[in-house]
Formats: sequence, C-alpha cells, structure tokens
Amino acid sequence: MNNRKTLIRFFTISDYEDEEIWLRSQHQKGWKLVKMIVPCFYIFESCVPRDVVYRLDYKNNTENHDYFQIFQDYGWEYFARCMGWLYFRKPVSETDTEQDKEIFSDNNSRIDMVNHIVKTRMLPLICIFFCCLLPNFIHSIEEANSFADVLTVIFTVLLLIYLYLFIHCGLKLRKLRQKYSGIK
Amino acid sequence: MDNRIRRIYVPMTESGFYILFCLQRPQHGYGISQQVKQMTGGDLTISAGTMYGTLSKMEKDGLIAFVKEEEKRKLYQITGLGHEILNLELRRIERLYKNSKGENVNE
Repeated sequence: MNNRKTLIRFFTISDYEDEEIWLRSQHQKGWKLVKMIVPCFYIFESCVPRDVVYRLDYKNNTENHDYFQIFQDYGWEYFARCMGWLYFRKPVSETDTEQDKEIFSDNNSRIDMVNHIVKTRMLPLICIFFCCLLPNFIHSIEEANSFADVLTVIFTVLLLIYLYLFIHCGLKLRKLRQKYSGIK
Repeated sequence: MDNRIRRIYVPMTESGFYILFCLQRPQHGYGISQQVKQMTGGDLTISAGTMYGTLSKMEKDGLIAFVKEEEKRKLYQITGLGHEILNLELRRIERLYKNSKGENVNE
C-alpha cells in the first residue's frame, strides 16, 4: 500500500515534547500517525495536510474509562498507546485559546507526570543496572576464556548504551522539572 | 483531620479550590471545567489531564467521592472531609481579602 509509510525515529522517555512537535509537523505534511511499534517504528497514513496538535500523557496503565471520557469531552482524539504512553491529538481549528491546545493547565500536573516517569521507569532501570547488568559484566571480566571475552565485549557495549541513555534521560527530565518549576 | 491532608491541601491551588467548590453539587470533570470557565469569565481553564489528575488525587485522599455514573461519565461530590478543607480555605481567603482591604481581622 502506498498510502502508508513507516519512519524510524528513536525518542526516549524524556523526549515527549520533541515527539509531539515532530508528529505535528508530519501531520502538517499530510501524514497522520496510526500506531507505533516498539522501540522506534512509526506507522503513518496519508491524509489531508492539517495543523493538528499532538499530546502525550504518561499514565503507565493507571488510567480508567473515565480518563478517556474526560479527554474526549475536551475534544481530544485518543488514537494510540505505547509503553505506558497515551497519544492524543486535536485540530488547531477546534481550539479557541492556547490553553485548549494543552492537556495540562498547571505546572504541578506537569511535574507530577515527570515524577511518575522517574518513579516507574528510571528507578527500575537503576535496579536492573545494579542487580543484573553490572554483576554479569564483572563476572565476564573475571572469567578467562574466549567465550567470556565475547561476552565482555557485548556487555561493555550494552553498558555504554545503557549509561548514555540513562544520563541523557536523567538530565533531560531534571531540566524539564526545572522548566516547569520556573527555575530554568 | 490528618496533618498530611492539611499540609497538601491548605493552601490549595486555584484549580483545586474551584474543583472542590464546584463539587458541592454532583458534577463530572468536563462539567466542572465549563462551570469554572463561566465563574472566572474564561480566565481560568483547567485542562483534561490536570482535571483528571486532581479528581483522582482528591478521591484517593477522601475529599470527594464518586456518586453515580451518568451517560458514561463519573459524577463526584464533596465529602465531610472535603467540606472541612473547603471551609479552612474559605476562612483563609476571606482573611486574605480583608487584610488586603486594610480591614481589622479579629481571629
């Protein structure tokens, strides 16, 4: 089918604002997001180019049916979910004020969302790091055979990617929290 | 009233105050937002995520309770504890207002 395209783009848990902007620009070019496939595949369908605001909310499966009802009442179209994130959109022509384009009206709720991400995503990642990745890494260094050498290389690469992502997300989430608290 | 609840809700955010105030009558999320818009001449809007988040938090802390479902929407109403908090806030705001006008406050 030529009215569909798949783009590969990697956004971490701290890049949701960039993702919203990117999805909006795709819609302006006539591509609306249909769904995502973990970790980085975005499937778009061709549509009439239109200015549509995209918003992501992190609920980590704590939402209930009333949650979707409230968003629908406010004019948000819920169309996809991925890894605890819920995807909403609303045409700009259906908004009267800047506030109508937002899903949060105060910084407390934005900070609540960042804290929720830290608690349910960052903390488990720290645990995995210390309980699983690091012990295996040390273990593979101590072993002295060719199989262990291959493992050491794999673990080193994994560890470096892990550390990079972890620091990137940690710093960015901290920056977002500061922005919302007005410290900047 | 437990100190934790008092610490969280007194003083309250403007959105929190209006939500609790409106729930003196049973109402659903979007209904509250429309009412608040009207009460403040459109100055205060409470967005969907903020509305849902505040309602769930207040329900969990026992300030409001689910009453019934109407056309798939959950209706909430203030509880006894919610009234206590609302009265504390009303007294605080009244004092603030009187002081700002230079009136004597004897409390």
